[in-house]
Amino acid sequence: MKIALMNGSPKIKDSASGILLDELKSLRRDDCITEYNFHTPILPSEMNLEEFAQQDAAVFAFPLYVDGIPSHLVNCLCQLEKYLIMHPSNLIIYAVVNCGFFEGNQNRYALEIMKNWCVRCGLKWGQGVGIGGGGMLPGLQGVPVGKGPRKNFAAAMNQLSEHITVGKNAEDIYVSPNVPRFAYKMGAEVEWRQQIKANGLSEKDLFRKL
Amino acid sequence: MRLIVHDLTEEQAKQILPQDDIDTRMIGDNGTIHPCIGCFGCWVKTPAQCVIRDNYGDMGELLSKCDELIFVSKCCYGGYSPFVKNVIDRGISYSHPYFTIRNGEMHHRRRYENHFRLNAFFYGTDITEQEKKTAENLVHANALNLDCQAEKVHFAPTADSFRGEFE
Repeated sequence: MKIALMNGSPKIKDSASGILLDELKSLRRDDCITEYNFHTPILPSEMNLEEFAQQDAAVFAFPLYVDGIPSHLVNCLCQLEKYLIMHPSNLIIYAVVNCGFFEGNQNRYALEIMKNWCVRCGLKWGQGVGIGGGGMLPGLQGVPVGKGPRKNFAAAMNQLSEHITVGKNAEDIYVSPNVPRFAYKMGAEVEWRQQIKANGLSEKDLFRKL
Repeated sequence: MRLIVHDLTEEQAKQILPQDDIDTRMIGDNGTIHPCIGCFGCWVKTPAQCVIRDNYGDMGELLSKCDELIFVSKCCYGGYSPFVKNVIDRGISYSHPYFTIRNGEMHHRRRYENHFRLNAFFYGTDITEQEKKTAENLVHANALNLDCQAEKVHFAPTADSFRGEFE
């Protein structure tokens, strides 16, 4: 199969979206993979739209920004729509959205927006995956895929990969990290305190008001 | 203060939005906005303020001073237009990085005490029923996230239809 992996994180490296796409890529070794990075509101200069439209599937991965799609990626989707309505394609679209909140289903409206985009572009929708606790993924790169806190993420990516092979529309999947919610919440607070101190500020500064 | 975030042209804004209202602050597109880069600097480097110092770096502070927030946006796939979403994305310093549980879900804690009302005005000649449903759900999710009160989500074929709504 020809599959496009579309990384919609604004981060150049160590993004949760990139880590999730790498996980998926490792499950698709026999496929012809093309990777695109959407870090800015402008489509990647190296992107060949004709080639993109001829892929069998495209998997978008991006972080949840305020319940929706990051603005730079909305911009890119608008540009892709202009091309795709003029050049009908048989692409099947999949999306993996990760959020910092524990519950994966908080990504549901971003997935709905992606589905609505598919309708506008005349594309088929495959499946959406909502990942909770995505913010912890960059810190878990030493943990083997599918183990410990990464267990549920790997299960979701496996299911997604199976559905890409079949090429049929499937129910969205929502997962949370394989840790208790209270532990995730406490861990995140420790992380924020460490980060602000590393920047030469105090814990009190986290509460600053202007 | 009433804060109106819109994606209208200068000409449209003059005709549709209130002029010379000292209690209304308008945020429009002057073509210079930078997208959020996901650095969380507004929480851990320059708390309560975006690290990108363009004209849109103080959205969190502005939200803390408003009692009504209004979005006027082209409806894009059931979401906001790139510009309006960009302003929203740049405003996360309004919230505190710590988590709290609200309505059974994890959300960010409040940084400020103000509670504003949220109204959204979406325009577009061919907004589908599904897009309307998504947009309504999205605005209510935003309200839960920002811990504010969602009031009404309006839809119209053109932005011009909203003339008189903001007097």
